[in-house]
Amino acid sequence: MIPESPEQMHILAGEYVLGVLEPEIAREIEAALPRNSALAASVAFWQERLHPLSSLAASAEPPPGLWQRIESRLDAATPAGSARLWQSVALWRWSTAAAAAIAACLALYIALAPTSGPSYVAVLHAPQQADAAFVATGGGGGLLLRAVAQEKPPGDRGFELWAIPAGAKPRSLGVIPPDGRVELGRLPVPLAAGTTLAISIEPKTGSPTGQPTGPVVFVGTLLAAQ
Amino acid sequence: MDKMAVSMHGGAQARAFMEQNLATIASPDELIAAVQRGSRAALKRLYELESRRLYGIALRIARRPDVAADALQDAFIQVWQNAGSFSPMRGSAAAWLTGIVRFRALDAVRKLGREVLTDDPTLGDAVDEPDPAAAIDFKLLQGALQRCLETLEEKQRRCIVLAFVDGLSHAEIAARLTAPLGSVKSWVRRGLLSLRSCLEP
Repeated sequence: MIPESPEQMHILAGEYVLGVLEPEIAREIEAALPRNSALAASVAFWQERLHPLSSLAASAEPPPGLWQRIESRLDAATPAGSARLWQSVALWRWSTAAAAAIAACLALYIALAPTSGPSYVAVLHAPQQADAAFVATGGGGGLLLRAVAQEKPPGDRGFELWAIPAGAKPRSLGVIPPDGRVELGRLPVPLAAGTTLAISIEPKTGSPTGQPTGPVVFVGTLLAAQ
Repeated sequence: MDKMAVSMHGGAQARAFMEQNLATIASPDELIAAVQRGSRAALKRLYELESRRLYGIALRIARRPDVAADALQDAFIQVWQNAGSFSPMRGSAAAWLTGIVRFRALDAVRKLGREVLTDDPTLGDAVDEPDPAAAIDFKLLQGALQRCLETLEEKQRRCIVLAFVDGLSHAEIAARLTAPLGSVKSWVRRGLLSLRSCLEP
């Protein structure tokens, strides 16, 4: 059982990252990670914050030929590129309810949007997970984001939306209100296919630094929709 | 689907550009981004850059070169397969890689049993190894973690270091510190609790 209390869950996540848990409990956490974004955020917190400790292990030369052994297994392993393609194909395999919500969202956006110019769609989901949490549609310089699942930020925190053009720094698109709906007429960056949209956990008023400070809980990439 | 084909074509151009410039890339974050696009050359470059550090981490936990090498091998296959799950906004590529290697090494150690490992006559006795918590030069660590570890009680700090760096389980820490298992579990938890409130902004 993953504890409901945020404090207990956070400590359990720390024990998981340390590696001290019984194997059955560790497996239970691993299985819960894709559908429990708060737990995933806690694990990411510990992974990142404890990382400097790993420098206490002295570097050592791996046995010769190890890279060749890895390389010889790559063909049998699913290449990363295909895995990514598979993930984008998997985007089309959500529950009917989510698909219906997306269709409604698209229809609404197209009704609102100027008729000219390209339009884009992105589905935001937790890393390593196919279920849609938010859907974004964009075009004509604007963007509409809608929640399609009941994802809520932990207690005193908020969700903040970011646009990350390929090879550039994240730009804030603002804090997401509790109803999960963001409608923007103007954007700080032009939309393009390949731009990543991401949602991180931040203070309720948004990141104090202008860059994401909390863990990213949902990501998606804009695709040309027409 | 046409649009996807177009964007993949763009990806191929970007890939060709990347492969030419890989030798100059020294950032694991950028290399993982290239691995996400399916570049084997980027994975190889990542191995060249990171394998000594990561093998050291695996060896410290596994204490046997063959087990550490297998763990590193499995970790790189996992990186190749799951690069898509890495998100740069969530944390650094270096910490992500460390996590994968630590878990693969811990898996191997738990499967083989630590006794098998420490009974190997060529490896010396674990108890004779320097106690990392006692030997830590905190100046080696930088920033918030160092400051926060210093605020912990000595036994809490030792538990956390023995677990993270040496990959010891609760029971193994208890044996190492000759302390009751229940106490070790609570030192770990209380240490994490203090660390959390110290590390969180």
